Parts: sequence; C-alpha cells; structure tokens
Amino acid sequence: MVIQVVVTVLIVLIILPNIYGSYKQNNLTILGAFLWAIFWIVAMILIWFPHLIGIVGDFFGVERSIDALVYLAIVFLLYTFFQQKIQINKINHEITKLSRNYALSKIKTRNEKDT
Amino acid sequence: MKTDEILYIILPAYNEGRIIGDVIKDIKKCGYKNIIVVDDGSTDNTYEIAESTGVITLAHLINRGKGAATQTGIDAAKLLNANIIVTMDSDGQHSPNDIRSLIQPILEKKVDVVVGSRMIKPQNMPKSRIFMNKIANIVTFVFFGIMVGDSQSGFRAYSRKAYTSIYSYMDRYEFESEILGQIRHFRLKLLEVPIKVIYSDYSLNKYKNSKVSGQGFLNGIKMVIRLVENALFK
Repeated sequence: MVIQVVVTVLIVLIILPNIYGSYKQNNLTILGAFLWAIFWIVAMILIWFPHLIGIVGDFFGVERSIDALVYLAIVFLLYTFFQQKIQINKINHEITKLSRNYALSKIKTRNEKDT
Repeated sequence: MKTDEILYIILPAYNEGRIIGDVIKDIKKCGYKNIIVVDDGSTDNTYEIAESTGVITLAHLINRGKGAATQTGIDAAKLLNANIIVTMDSDGQHSPNDIRSLIQPILEKKVDVVVGSRMIKPQNMPKSRIFMNKIANIVTFVFFGIMVGDSQSGFRAYSRKAYTSIYSYMDRYEFESEILGQIRHFRLKLLEVPIKVIYSDYSLNKYKNSKVSGQGFLNGIKMVIRLVENALFK
C-alpha cells in the first residue's frame, strides 16, 4: 500500500504538473502532453489495480501479463531512442551548416566587394 | 591558363599551430599560391598563424570534424570558381611535391578524381596502420560498394565536375569513405597514384595523443558505428 501511495503522490504532485509546465513552456506539443499524461495516469491506475494488467497480457497473447508490459516498455524505449537520435543528428547538421555559413561569409563578402 | 590560377589547395586544420605555418610555406615553395585553410575550431593559434601567411583562412567557430572542415573548404573553392581542388592533411604528413602527380591526370582530362595512395608503396608506414587501412577499405566497400587501395587518404584531387557533384554530410573522419561512395554513385572516374608519406615525430605523436585522431582501433570502431548510424538515420 505504501508504494502505491508514494507513486501516486509523485505522479500527481510532480510528474503531471511537470508535463503541464513543459507544455506551457512550449517544450511539448499538446498531443505530446496529452499522451504523456495518459501514460502516467494509466500507470497510476495499474499500480492500484494490478489485475487490469491481465487484460494487456490476454490481448498480446503472452503467458505472464508482466511480460507484455516489459515488451511494450522495450518498444517504447527504442522508439524514444530513435526519435532522439534523429533529433540529435538534425541538430548536428544544423550546427555544421551554421558554422560553415559563418566561415564562408568571409569569402561571400569579399566576392560582393569585388563585383 | 596557368595551373596556379585554377587550382586551390584545401587544408582542414585543428590545433595545428605548431606546424601549419611550415606546411603552408612548403606548399608555396612548390609554386601553389591558392591555399584555403579551414580552421576547425582550434583552441590554439592555428587561425592566427595561417592568417599571417596571407592565405585564405576560414574558421569554424566550434570543432565540427575533418569532414565538415573539408566540405567548407570545398564550398569556398566553389565560390572562388576553382577548376581543380586538392585536399591535404595539415599536419605535414603529405608532401606538396606529390600535388603535381595528383592533378596531372585531371589536367589531361583522363579522370575526375585522383586519390593519393599510401598503400601502393607503403615504405615507412607502420604495420599497424597498414592493417587498419585494409580494414577501413573493407568497411568502405561494405557500406559504399567501392574498393580502393587507400580509402582513408585525405590527399586527393578533384576536377570541377567531381567537386561540384559530391557533398559530404558526415562531419568526422568517415567522410573520406562517404565521398568514395559518392564517386561511385556519380560514376566519376577515379585513379589512385602513389604518394610519399612523411611520418614526422609531430604527426606520430599527434595521433598517439590526440582524442580526435582518425587513426587507431578505437577510432576505427567509432567510425563504423557512425557509418551504421548514417545508414539508419540520414
């Protein structure tokens, strides 16, 4: 019982306000904020009513319901990893482009003066 | 038309303040005046020394890698309307006397790209480096479908057709392999010619000590990881 209360307090007092704050600061889209909120609310419900996990297990056809959650967690983590990797690559390309344009501005200015 | 008017030498440089002045002086001694130094966010006085020699000196505000610096040099050569470009390492391991043998096949319009190969006559090349280069050649073949004798050589000459076709998206050392892939993609004619490599105490120590060295086993693994990432995420 204690762990359920602690996790619920954490979700309600810290995680959900944090999601709302991120949305207000434009770090999350409304869809992103909504999905994250749903995710944590579902987690909170499952902690209080663990037998509901059985529905997930039945749906995916796995013997133990907790296995289904582990598989889903792996898929979710991989997805976020790929998303972040794409984002980092994009930012890297942008930084290189910016550095390059700055470096080349010297020649562009010189060319403009010559013409 | 004089070769000097149409040829640009590109030197990507990162923390080469101790040697860049001598490298530029040696290139000038061989009669090549059009030199572009791209200082890749050095923390030493590379930029100031290059600038003081009177060559075109460009600077990345932060370190982006040899590939990014070389591509910046290539873009600069485009703006300067170069007919032929030569890329060289700025640590003094390439001899400017070899520039002639690199550009000659392009001037004769026989090929589009000439790669200076250390592997044709690897006289004083350390055995570990020969081994690493062979592995890199295989990796290049696996990822880009082109087999050359020295896939990691940075001493190359490109015709205008070649350098305006290719574009490097990979910022670090793996760009040498990426460019070879593009050479294959654009069906550019490629030739490898032997070059002399000067393994001075400076260049050997640099590769031994530097965290950004393109050599060494660990860097080879990093390069493969980045090639895999590039194949997945580009």
